[in-house]
Amino acid sequence: MATLEKERAATTAAVIVRSKENITIDPLATETDTLPKMFLQRVDAQRDKVAMRKKRFGIWQEYTWQQSFEQVRDLSLGLVSLGLQRGEKVAIIGENDPEFYWAEIAAWSAGGTTIAIFTDANLQELGYVIDNSDSVFLFAHDQEQCDKALALREKIPNIRKVIYWDEKGLWHYNEPWLMSYEQVQALGRDYHRAHPNAFMELAQQGSPDDIALLSYTSGTTSLPKGAMIRHRNLLFGNKHVIKIAPTKPDDEYVSFSPPAWITEQSLGLTGHLVTGFTVNFPESPATVQTDIREVAPSALLFPSRVWEQLAGLMRLRILDSTWLNKALFALFLPIRYKIIDLEDAEKSVAPHWRIGGWLADIAVFAPLRDKIGMTRMRNAFTSGAALSPDVVRFFRAVGVQLKNLYGSTECQAHTLHYDGNVKLATVGPPAPGVEIAIQPDGEMWIRSRAVFGGYYKDEKKTAEALDADGWFHTGDAGYVDKDGHIIYLDRVSDMIELANGEKFSPQYIEGRLKFSPYIQDVMTVGGFDMHYVTAIINIDFENVARWAEKNRVAFTTFVDLSQKPEVAALIRKDVQSVNETLPPAARVQKFVILHKVFDADEAELTRTRKLRRRALEQKYGDMLTAMYENLDEVKVSAEVKYRDGRSGVVETAVKVSTV
Amino acid sequence: MTDSTAKLEVRDISLSFGGIRALQHVSFVVPQGAIFAIIGPNGAGKTSLINSINGFYHPQQGAVLFEGRDITAQPAFRRAKMGISRTFQNIALYTNMTTLDNLMAARHIHMKSNLLTGALFFGSARNEEIEHRRRVEEIIDFLEMESIRKTIVGNLSYGLRKRVELGRALALEPTLLLLDEPMAGMNVEEKEDMARFILDIHERQDMTILLIEHDMGLVMDISHRVVALDFGRKIAEGTPDEIKKNEAVIKAYLGQEV
Repeated sequence: MATLEKERAATTAAVIVRSKENITIDPLATETDTLPKMFLQRVDAQRDKVAMRKKRFGIWQEYTWQQSFEQVRDLSLGLVSLGLQRGEKVAIIGENDPEFYWAEIAAWSAGGTTIAIFTDANLQELGYVIDNSDSVFLFAHDQEQCDKALALREKIPNIRKVIYWDEKGLWHYNEPWLMSYEQVQALGRDYHRAHPNAFMELAQQGSPDDIALLSYTSGTTSLPKGAMIRHRNLLFGNKHVIKIAPTKPDDEYVSFSPPAWITEQSLGLTGHLVTGFTVNFPESPATVQTDIREVAPSALLFPSRVWEQLAGLMRLRILDSTWLNKALFALFLPIRYKIIDLEDAEKSVAPHWRIGGWLADIAVFAPLRDKIGMTRMRNAFTSGAALSPDVVRFFRAVGVQLKNLYGSTECQAHTLHYDGNVKLATVGPPAPGVEIAIQPDGEMWIRSRAVFGGYYKDEKKTAEALDADGWFHTGDAGYVDKDGHIIYLDRVSDMIELANGEKFSPQYIEGRLKFSPYIQDVMTVGGFDMHYVTAIINIDFENVARWAEKNRVAFTTFVDLSQKPEVAALIRKDVQSVNETLPPAARVQKFVILHKVFDADEAELTRTRKLRRRALEQKYGDMLTAMYENLDEVKVSAEVKYRDGRSGVVETAVKVSTV
Repeated sequence: MTDSTAKLEVRDISLSFGGIRALQHVSFVVPQGAIFAIIGPNGAGKTSLINSINGFYHPQQGAVLFEGRDITAQPAFRRAKMGISRTFQNIALYTNMTTLDNLMAARHIHMKSNLLTGALFFGSARNEEIEHRRRVEEIIDFLEMESIRKTIVGNLSYGLRKRVELGRALALEPTLLLLDEPMAGMNVEEKEDMARFILDIHERQDMTILLIEHDMGLVMDISHRVVALDFGRKIAEGTPDEIKKNEAVIKAYLGQEV
């Protein structure tokens, strides 16, 4: 599908990979070269079509494009009458809601730049981003976020108004610094009456090189930095993907990824404006799964972790199901696997297998797809940490073709799987319009029209990441296979060289291990003075507890359960089966089962739930030492924060298991 | 917040079961719009007092006045219609029904359609059902119960069942809410949620709330006025600060100053 060119340029000696030549991306049309212009065109084209739905009071409430337009216009002019100037920054913290999208379009229409912030940001994180971005307005969803803003008030003097859209609990705040969405829109309506052409003029003014977003990267190692994403970056970033995974105006999209994440901006909001599909907003974060089922979207992007959880959950539900369901599943799953293997080997699938596969669909997999809301799914993407190939294979058997989408905040989608050319172990070929240069040390450099404009107010970091030729240095290691697919390994800095000189990718092994329903999270270590690979494993409490109950293993708490010899044996079996698929040097020799789970609140994970490896290695140094010095157990007294807010010290012995 | 008009007056009530004197000459006045707490050790008569207010028990002596009317002789269902609703210490819900159905069931006291029109389900009966559902959905939204709307109550955690019960009490559209240990058995996070809901209800609907609670810190935080009971007798009444310093209360109940 993709062509691989080996260009040995004198300066880089890199291998450059591009997507198939004949897929070209058209330049932007001048009348739609910014997001607000795109929005206006969409409104014109499909005024009475449903633009958004929000489930409120148990019912999907609809907003047409015309209503969406009025919301945006009033809000935008409201901001203008409160003094928003072109180029100023507007921060938004909140759950996915129509109001969130409108706030962004409104700010853009007035020439502003938006900063979307994760709702679980603590005071320090929120204060840092507001301050670093020079924001002048803050949209704060509800009482919780407004309280944060009020607590930060002294530290964020540039914020002129805090604007909320869920008034619950805020009725008696009596604080002029806070304003409701409606109050701002009322100002906007007055402004509109006085200046009827103002909004259209403002919205037409922007340039494709204006900064639309400052997207703060999650910062696994340092303070978050604000990637400057221009209007044209978002438009091209979206085009690169929809060229391969087309979207249609009558598609249904479910907005549940945090808007602080570039993918929601690129595929959700930008996609909404570019294609005009309907965006459905779930009732609350807790109802996302059932809301997805009700909407049955045609495209969806989960982080790999969610797919893993979903696969684990589906398997578990089947285990808990009736004997008939279990028997049907056990009968038909291997048939689907067989067909997949034949297809992958490009062999013809014999008619009896086809009939079997078809029966399997009727009996088991079509109802299963309905349960997870994937009856209309055309483009099911996964991104974030590498997804275990086993999970991809499982969903394919269910009838959902998962496609990898690999990208970054700085240049959105780098690669993705094309229809009919999905290879489980790769992240796919480069997206159309994207070039990838693989450096001799394995680092991937990216160049495309979606590449960002540098980090806000940070020339040093910008110079490190972005070179004069427009290449973005991702810091990710990968290589290209014979079909031009990219195999993503790991962060260059996280690749580890073992005693025999072979490199291994901890993330890859972790992905495989996490397919076990009993393993929730895992960190593998090795290399340098550590001669073999070891693992620190978090058990999945719910699943292991269920297993323990069924197998009459008595336990009291998580700590107790995690150190049961029966549980160690259970986990060992799963580690062994993963080991069989790995080269000998990369096999896990020893592991410990941690007495707790990795926790973002204890800075063990990032907010996107990636491991903070350095911090973990330091924190659990004792356990690593025990595993490399052949000790049987290690005493730990770890500080833990209980769910009730207290913190205490757990004293226990964590046992070392040998595989 | 509060004004001088009395929402509820308990006038010198005494209640005994055989030889056990559960309440002896208890009197107090709950002002309109107050959050009013009753504290006391186990067996002090707190639940008996609430049961006397909502009409489950009928005290042998004394009177209960609701909005100035003597309701001592009224049965519980009639008091509910007047606007007194309650939750229970040991959750009393239809455990095999969903959250939504539990709340809808509570709306029956406001329903006008009879068996026939309800069965045919057209015209006014249908519109009425829609209206009740709308009210119930507002409560679901208010108490953030969207994700458990269609969950069977028996499958919910204890903390969530307490929340459903509060929702059911609200579905009756009371003007006086009696909460019997709304936070018992909850972890700190659930307690904080519940306290927030109680304050929101009070703030939003100007609801008069009478609650029994063991968590002293919480009672002192959210209540405007506190009555302390011991062995069926009122031993103190005052603001949270006064109660904290009250000798009799400290001796009877707290053991030490909190």
